[in-house]
Amino acid sequence: MIPATLKKTNEWKSSDIVFCLKHVAETQRLWFAGSDFSVYQYDLSIEKPERQPFEGEGHTSYVTGMVRQDNTLITCGYDGQLCWWNIDERRLTRKIAAHERWARAITKSPDGSKLYSVADDMLCKVWDASTGELLESLQEHALQTPNHYPSMLYAVAASPDGKWLATGDRIGHTAIWNTDSFEKIAELETPIMYTWDPRARRHSIGGIRSLAFSPDSNELAIGGIGKIGNIDHLGGPARLEVFDWRSGTQRLEIEDNKKKGLIEQIVWSPGKEWILTAGGDNNGFLTFYNAETGDLLHQDGQNGHIHEISVGPNFDELFVAAHERLTKWTMKTEQQNPDINETPKEDSKASKKAAQN
Amino acid sequence: MRIPVILTVTLSILLGVPIRAKATDAETLADRIDHHIDARLQTEGVAPAPIVADESFLRRVTLDLAGRIPTPAERTNFLAQQQNEADSPTRRRQLVEQLINSPDYAYHARNQLDILLLLRSEHNTSWREYLLEATSENRGWDQMFREIFQPEDTLTSDVRPISYLKKQLNDLDALTNGASVKWLGVNIACAKCHDHPLVDDWTQDHYYGMTSFFKRTFRTKKGFLSERFEGLPKYTDVYGDEQQPGLMFLTGEKVDIPALDMEEEALKKLQEAIKKSEKDDKSDPPPRPEFRPRSKFVELALGDNEYRFFAKNLVNRIWARLLGRGLVHPLDQMHSQNPASHPELLEELAEAVVESGYDVRHLTQAIVLSKVYARGASDSAAPPIAPDLFAVSLPRPLAPRQLSLSLRIAGQNPEKMQGRVNEDSWVAEREKLEKASEGNAKKLLIPTEGFQVAVTEALWFSNNLSLQKDLLSTSNDRLVGYLKTLEADDEVVSAAFASVLNRTPDAAETSAIKKYLAERQERRDDALKQVVWALLATPEFRFNH
Amino acid sequence: MNLLNRRSMLKAAGTTAAASNMAAVELLSQPAMAAELARNGKNVILLWLAGGASQLETWDPKPGQPTGGPFAKIQTSIPGVEISELLPKMSTRLDETAIIRSLNTKIADHGQGYFLMDRGRRAEPDIEFPHLGAILAHELGQIDSKVPDYVSMYTSTEGRRQGSAGFLGARYNPMFLTDKMIPEDIQLPESISDADHRDRAALRKTLSHRFATSTKHAGVGSHENAYERVRGLMASDYLFDVDREPTAMRDVYGPTQFGQQCLVARRLVEAGVPFVKVARAWWDSHGQNFETHRELCADLDHCMSTLLDDLKQRGLLETTLVITLGEFGRTPKINGSLGRDHFANAWSCTLSGCGIRGGTVFGKTDPDGQTVTEGEMNAGDLFATIFSALGISPDKEYMVGSRPIPIADFGSEPCTEVLS
Repeated sequence: MIPATLKKTNEWKSSDIVFCLKHVAETQRLWFAGSDFSVYQYDLSIEKPERQPFEGEGHTSYVTGMVRQDNTLITCGYDGQLCWWNIDERRLTRKIAAHERWARAITKSPDGSKLYSVADDMLCKVWDASTGELLESLQEHALQTPNHYPSMLYAVAASPDGKWLATGDRIGHTAIWNTDSFEKIAELETPIMYTWDPRARRHSIGGIRSLAFSPDSNELAIGGIGKIGNIDHLGGPARLEVFDWRSGTQRLEIEDNKKKGLIEQIVWSPGKEWILTAGGDNNGFLTFYNAETGDLLHQDGQNGHIHEISVGPNFDELFVAAHERLTKWTMKTEQQNPDINETPKEDSKASKKAAQN
Repeated sequence: MRIPVILTVTLSILLGVPIRAKATDAETLADRIDHHIDARLQTEGVAPAPIVADESFLRRVTLDLAGRIPTPAERTNFLAQQQNEADSPTRRRQLVEQLINSPDYAYHARNQLDILLLLRSEHNTSWREYLLEATSENRGWDQMFREIFQPEDTLTSDVRPISYLKKQLNDLDALTNGASVKWLGVNIACAKCHDHPLVDDWTQDHYYGMTSFFKRTFRTKKGFLSERFEGLPKYTDVYGDEQQPGLMFLTGEKVDIPALDMEEEALKKLQEAIKKSEKDDKSDPPPRPEFRPRSKFVELALGDNEYRFFAKNLVNRIWARLLGRGLVHPLDQMHSQNPASHPELLEELAEAVVESGYDVRHLTQAIVLSKVYARGASDSAAPPIAPDLFAVSLPRPLAPRQLSLSLRIAGQNPEKMQGRVNEDSWVAEREKLEKASEGNAKKLLIPTEGFQVAVTEALWFSNNLSLQKDLLSTSNDRLVGYLKTLEADDEVVSAAFASVLNRTPDAAETSAIKKYLAERQERRDDALKQVVWALLATPEFRFNH
Repeated sequence: MNLLNRRSMLKAAGTTAAASNMAAVELLSQPAMAAELARNGKNVILLWLAGGASQLETWDPKPGQPTGGPFAKIQTSIPGVEISELLPKMSTRLDETAIIRSLNTKIADHGQGYFLMDRGRRAEPDIEFPHLGAILAHELGQIDSKVPDYVSMYTSTEGRRQGSAGFLGARYNPMFLTDKMIPEDIQLPESISDADHRDRAALRKTLSHRFATSTKHAGVGSHENAYERVRGLMASDYLFDVDREPTAMRDVYGPTQFGQQCLVARRLVEAGVPFVKVARAWWDSHGQNFETHRELCADLDHCMSTLLDDLKQRGLLETTLVITLGEFGRTPKINGSLGRDHFANAWSCTLSGCGIRGGTVFGKTDPDGQTVTEGEMNAGDLFATIFSALGISPDKEYMVGSRPIPIADFGSEPCTEVLS
């Protein structure tokens, strides 16, 4: 898996903003959703795939997150709802009024039994993935920012070993939860990701936009944007912080000014060699950092702010949900540098499985 | 009454007064001014106010020529001349001569140009340095016009005057109308969207004809000015038809634009070179076309012998500055439906100004030597007189620097701040005063037509602590410090009046102040400060009159 | 305390003293003013949404359209009328408010847009048009007023521009508050006692007498008038002190700066200040439009509804016109940073209170919000409407030299549908 061989191979233009997507390499299917409120499928075996809409009265606002479990997609949206969709039949099967405010993200437990959703009611809710039953409501993040304005809860991530959950908000506060007891067991602060301007423009910008546990579940990567001077724009460095979350020690603190903007998603390589960050400002970036040293390994950009990526099981392709388009990128999987890619076979299988979900 | 020139010269020789040819011309011109003004007064049967006393004349003309109030020493000096043989007109002539040749004159003229041309908005010192240089050597107004509008072409290639055009390059309308208003006395803004609704003279063709002269001007990245090879504004008239008047001056005179004798490819190359110079500060200076509209504008403005907007505007503005109102009123409405109050006078003065080589100092001198200028105020009980008769003087608010300089001077110890009396040290002192007055000047508004004092100025003057401390300090180089040393209250009153209002107090004023001081004997320092403040805060100080 | 307000005091005192002051200062330059001496006791609070608030996230939402954004619309107290879900408090309080959705002002540049919307007409070189506050201070103010005529609050540094009285004269310039929430130089300096300050002012007046009475010049008259108002204005410094309000009242307005400034505005208006502008900067969400509007709309929603409630309870809303307005609106098109850019072709504003037919919506835009389809209004029309709501004829003219200048731009028409 060599980031340096990253290459954009396809672009499918869209009239709307695509916020989320998932794909399955073997079946060559891609599902995506965004600002036109609908869920669609692409058959990637066709060169110029046509959108195949999912039937049913689902979301009534932007679809912001998507999860796949076997033959089901579950989406969340600004309407505060969670929707279940049957993939084969391409139709809505269940709809829940899950949150009082705008739902920002959804993820699932590694075993696929539970769903975790976060929204601007500042709650993380835990759901039974198959029945839709509400199992828990995690309340910890403050409803208001220290400057007395309504806050947002943007990001949620489950650890690969299934034991932990992380939630991250507008003001740079992350809570880590035990997924059995649902008690908060740790917290981290990344206040630089929240810029409040008291003087020129009197409002805030930023927030934690992405979270990802390391493959061994011991570290947590937090992504957002660094301090911004002119908060009318996303004119700040892409910012990544990596913590040993148990001790609260920050191990890496990285800012990139070459490709600025929000880090919307973080993906660790299975062997913990590199960390891929995807996001953007008015445009999109894919930036790889050395997971050990934090050095920038490789970087590329595209038109269209990237909202989410879906990485193939072999890390040889990735699909991108972006502003007014979907794109596909490829990477070579040849082991050109034996130092980097020494991963035992069982781990590759595990990582394949993880990638498939 | 006009005295024959020969008699004047003879008298001058007999009296031993040196003759300067210009001085005689200025007096002659002053007589001509009075001739025209008095003629109309007679026709209308209006009696003018009498000429003001020496004391008032001193303050007025010092403010107008030196941009500040006179110091007590200057006042004493001037009034003391009543003792010698020379009569009042002669004394005043000499006073004017001294003031107009003093370093103060150049500073004040510079400050007035600063207001006229860029409304004090240009902070870079090189622009103001340029203006001071020009006023110090009494550079002709036409010369300044060339330097400001054609910086690329003047002999010195002085870059400093570029500030004027540079500031307005991103707004063609403001640049065009600004040029028209400030240099030609004509506001054509109304004629942009339709032929001027009120004034027949100005049509849309005139408006766009004028902008055509400036449309091609651009600025390189390095900061130099140049002109493009093509480009003319078009407009859509009220009937929906597209018009392109080309280069047309206010007078209606058109300029033929020679055809560009080159291949399209060659033109493209030139345009690219120009574009490069606009973006890249390391690129070569751009190619310059032979035909340059902006230069034509300057030519036409100076060569117009029929309407003479340029010369008349100069006359009108200097007149308005000194008399409180233009011969053409308002100052930017010179057109056939708004005749001057004294059309022949305007013509004569315009001709004289052209003949003199656009000598601003000469024109100014002529006006302040006239009787019109020296008239007193109206009798407030009498019915109001039409201001365009110039029968009485008008109060005129002080400009920001006039006021801040005067505040500073008034607040000095009169024995230490003597003014022009100390010729050698005065230039340096004046320069220092200018710098020290900068801060307060910025807080004051530039007076425009219909000037009013804002309540924020009154609050600032009444309550601002640092201002109070500055003006009313008790240190011995200051007025309050000086007043402290005086024994008698009568002395205090007369010294305060001499410093601040440049006159002697009357009985009522003296007794009011003495009463005030008497009630505060145990805090006399404070009382002195308050008395000085009260004088500084009068409208009599705030205005020229 | 609020019963004994300036208006009733002046009624008791009579206005003849005011009339003679008027004569001294005003008549020479504006002869037509003599007839307008009776001031009508109305006030204006302008909530200036600096930077350009998005009409799609406030008063004219279009959810479901490609340009609509993620927020829903909600029912309001006006049947059939919906506004953005970001303004829930205002949605129940539209009885005294008219929403105008059809502004097409064409200028989408901050500086020029500000000038246009603060003067009701485009700039012309070489004539200084007065800003709205100056015009209203002139029309609604008292010549010898002991309170300021025109107070403007703009604390953020972005887009901060001071209004100007232009040809109406500096008397009508605003008291412009930026860092401090109290005007400059309004408090007694420590260098002088209050008694001396008063006596000093009287001495000044005595020493000015000879010169001031020797001329009828309007400028000289204005000088005297300005100094005469100093003591009165100093005495009104308490109006800017919100600590004088009960805690409960301060809490209702909330902890944000905008809330506190709205409270000051109410106090000023209650004391008879004719025109108060409170700027809430900075709405210019080129990036992250939805996040930014979540914050700013929460502020606007809360503070505007609190202010309207407060004015209503005190019986002041009938005589106070509350305006929300900015330089322009925001583009229907959403850019890559999830922002909206400047847009002046189809945007909204609101008018509440005095002279307004509440519970109305005027004007329509197309489904995407790109153009106005009904009831197009420009800046001049808006100003004509504002003047009419306050009982001022929009055709009234000021004379600048010999040139008549109507207070609302040539060709403008008031929107009668929103006037009561």
